[in-house]
Amino acid sequence: MKKPKVAFFDFACCEGCQLQVANMGEHLLDLLGAIDVVEFREVMSEKWDKDYDIAIVEGSITDPHAVERIKKIRQRSKILIAYGSCATIGGVNGMKNNFELDDARKYVYGKQYTFFPSIKTRAVHQVVPVDYFVNGCPIYLPELVAVLKAALKGIPYYVPDYAVCVECKLNENVCMYERGVGCMGPVTRAGCNSWCINNGNICYGCRGMVSNPNENGAKDVLEKYNIPMDLVLNKMNMYNKCRELKDNE
Amino acid sequence: MKDLQYLVLRKDDLSSFITHLSRDQKVVAPVAKGHGTYSFEEVTSAKDIALKYIPTILPPKKFFMPQKETLVEYDLKSGLEVNAVLETEKITIFGVHTCDLAGIQCLNMVFSERPKDYNYLFRKRQITIIGLECNDYCDEHASCNIVNSNMPNGGYDLFFTDIGDCFVVHVNTHAGEEMVETSKLFKNPERSHFDAFMALREKKKQIFKNEVPIEPRDIPELFDRSFDSEVWKDLETKCLSCGNCTNVCPTCYCFDIIDDINLDMSSGKKYRKWDSCQLEPFAKVAGGENFRKSRAARQRHRYYRKFEYPVAKYSRFFCTGCGRCSRTCMAGIKLKDTLNALIKERMNKLWIKWL
Repeated sequence: MKKPKVAFFDFACCEGCQLQVANMGEHLLDLLGAIDVVEFREVMSEKWDKDYDIAIVEGSITDPHAVERIKKIRQRSKILIAYGSCATIGGVNGMKNNFELDDARKYVYGKQYTFFPSIKTRAVHQVVPVDYFVNGCPIYLPELVAVLKAALKGIPYYVPDYAVCVECKLNENVCMYERGVGCMGPVTRAGCNSWCINNGNICYGCRGMVSNPNENGAKDVLEKYNIPMDLVLNKMNMYNKCRELKDNE
Repeated sequence: MKDLQYLVLRKDDLSSFITHLSRDQKVVAPVAKGHGTYSFEEVTSAKDIALKYIPTILPPKKFFMPQKETLVEYDLKSGLEVNAVLETEKITIFGVHTCDLAGIQCLNMVFSERPKDYNYLFRKRQITIIGLECNDYCDEHASCNIVNSNMPNGGYDLFFTDIGDCFVVHVNTHAGEEMVETSKLFKNPERSHFDAFMALREKKKQIFKNEVPIEPRDIPELFDRSFDSEVWKDLETKCLSCGNCTNVCPTCYCFDIIDDINLDMSSGKKYRKWDSCQLEPFAKVAGGENFRKSRAARQRHRYYRKFEYPVAKYSRFFCTGCGRCSRTCMAGIKLKDTLNALIKERMNKLWIKWL
């Protein structure tokens, strides 16, 4: 079997997810046994001018150039995988959508801001169709491998549509609410094996929300534990601002 | 009471006993995890053990059916090669309360049904259980009296009852007898030990009362008539569908089986992991249909799986009164509150009929 040609791309992001892949260690060798990496800015100089079997895209779409570029990548790729919060849900770049675009441009670029066109931050699937999602900031490597295996097999990968609490409970962590700390776990999609909470941190909601969160119920819980609503909303919006985008924006 | 079945162990000797056991097996016992929580974890001496503890975050079912467990490994390189996998180890669980003993008994019934679950049953053979009596309620969430699980009712190898400076120990099985004999730490009880023991059991009858105003035998009928109750609608608004209540339940056993192929695309394994009827995708099938779409229907299902369906099938409640579901629920859905609300609603309906 010919190994599929795989390329890694980045848009607005910290390239931390690529770093995760580069730092994968021994498992990277297994991975390279199954795929042929033809483009990966972080680790190699070569480019590829033919079509890609799989394009793995990091970062969110934040300006008109990026829109054009991601459309071209989509055209050249049989399968497109969005990976990392920036690509899958907009991620921290979505915080730009809290402001008027021009205010954000002036703040960043000063007087010359008109030379730098900008659009509201979007996740990759809000611009072009995406076949697979690897959520997380950064990505959880076992999930990347699981998604790649599904892509190689040509079968769907289902991101768990239930709360991080499920995995957290199976890991028998002491609940953050028990400690009196607000945690995004109850409304955030699982699949990371409650990575942060296992290590003593709260869940920041970097994997996006479950498809049908009980928002009123969650508000009641915050009230019960005396956790201010706006504090949690800010935390939620740190990664999830782009979910508010309408189709025509 | 046959004297031979009962022995005493001085509390000062508990540590020697635990150390003795841990020489040739893994000994797990309740350990404090902070913030008033506990979990069953490996110990090598008694000083790590929390003798006075409220039910652990996860019940001891995690040793019988691990959260994630490989069932088969396969390789397709040369034909179809499939091997069953069974990973077991010798474990003694120390300090299991009567509610959790009841939970293990429920799971035993479920997994002994045909087709038998050999992974569960073989693992069970490797596990010895040392029970520990509750002299008082652990906290306000427990409801062990209504389901008759605060007195020992079998399901253990040894059973410890704390009577002050020593434990009265009931020897229930050959495995238990062997532990007692090899340790050489147990003595024959004296009259005073028995008196203290009987006094404690008498006192417990005064302490433990039905936690909700209903006779246990009337509970299935209550559920028979409550399928369309308003109480479930109230749970709809509260429940976050986080699955905590079922994951911590000592009698919930639902699992999902996952096919996990390796990167070579020819070898791989099938493993199972705990699943929960409270989760959105649990009853979702091909085509997108979801048979239990509303949280109310899912919560109702959970209660019926404790108080109605198993009574018909196994002639016992699958609620052990441990209170874990109430303790762990962030949204404050409490088992006793739900039962009380159902009873109240039922009573109101009866009154209206009579008037």
